[in-house]
Amino acid sequence: MNVLAEWTFDVEAGKVAEFARAVGAPVSDAAAPTFTMVAGADMVERLVSETLKLDRARTVHGEQGYEYLSPIRAGMTLRCRAMLVSDVMKPGKAGPMRVVTVVVVYADATTGADLVRETMTTIEKAAP
Amino acid sequence: MTPPSSVTPAPVTLGPVTRTDLVRYAGASGDFNPLHHDPDFARAAGLPDVMAHGMYSAGLVASQVERWFGAGAMVRFAVRFRAPVWVGDRLVLSCDRIDGADLDLSLRRGDDIVLSATVHLAGKGP
Repeated sequence: MNVLAEWTFDVEAGKVAEFARAVGAPVSDAAAPTFTMVAGADMVERLVSETLKLDRARTVHGEQGYEYLSPIRAGMTLRCRAMLVSDVMKPGKAGPMRVVTVVVVYADATTGADLVRETMTTIEKAAP
Repeated sequence: MTPPSSVTPAPVTLGPVTRTDLVRYAGASGDFNPLHHDPDFARAAGLPDVMAHGMYSAGLVASQVERWFGAGAMVRFAVRFRAPVWVGDRLVLSCDRIDGADLDLSLRRGDDIVLSATVHLAGKGP
């Protein structure tokens, strides 16, 4: 698979708690199930605007999936790797849509063990 | 942790979604797409107002699943965004199907499904 980006992310306790409060989760040292959004936010921003050059005003989040292998906890450093799975045009109601699927694997940088595998599908709707 | 069960949890009402909720989620997640906080930008893109981040709604759903089944209960969680969520929306999360460790969930505004989700819980089967 085409590796789009690799980076590391420090899981700070305050950020884990802030994110938990924002999604109505109990505050704990284990990160909320969708916490990886925080680790991936800058990558997604660059991916959308620079790498894939999607038109933000026409771009919607289609699907998001997670496979949880082991908890992400405050104090960990994550090693993150984003891979392009597919970037295809599909017929839509208003014309051809671009459908981009990216997988991001978040691993414990210390042990190398994979913790979370995330799949995101982004749709750029047809130009008006 | 509560073990997976065949007892269907009762539907739960979430929201109403406020602008403050969306700004808090933007700051916490780092997703500063202006469609989610800037009404002028949203209107220029043809929307009536700012729309909630899909992952805000997905995060609320994940939190509720953990309240039902315990922290760390999910092995797999997948969501499909079906319709935008707006400021002021009251949402109802219901478990439409439960089959051992597999759940189908829907998040509705009135009769409209805004998000559907599938969950596989730990402790039962592959």
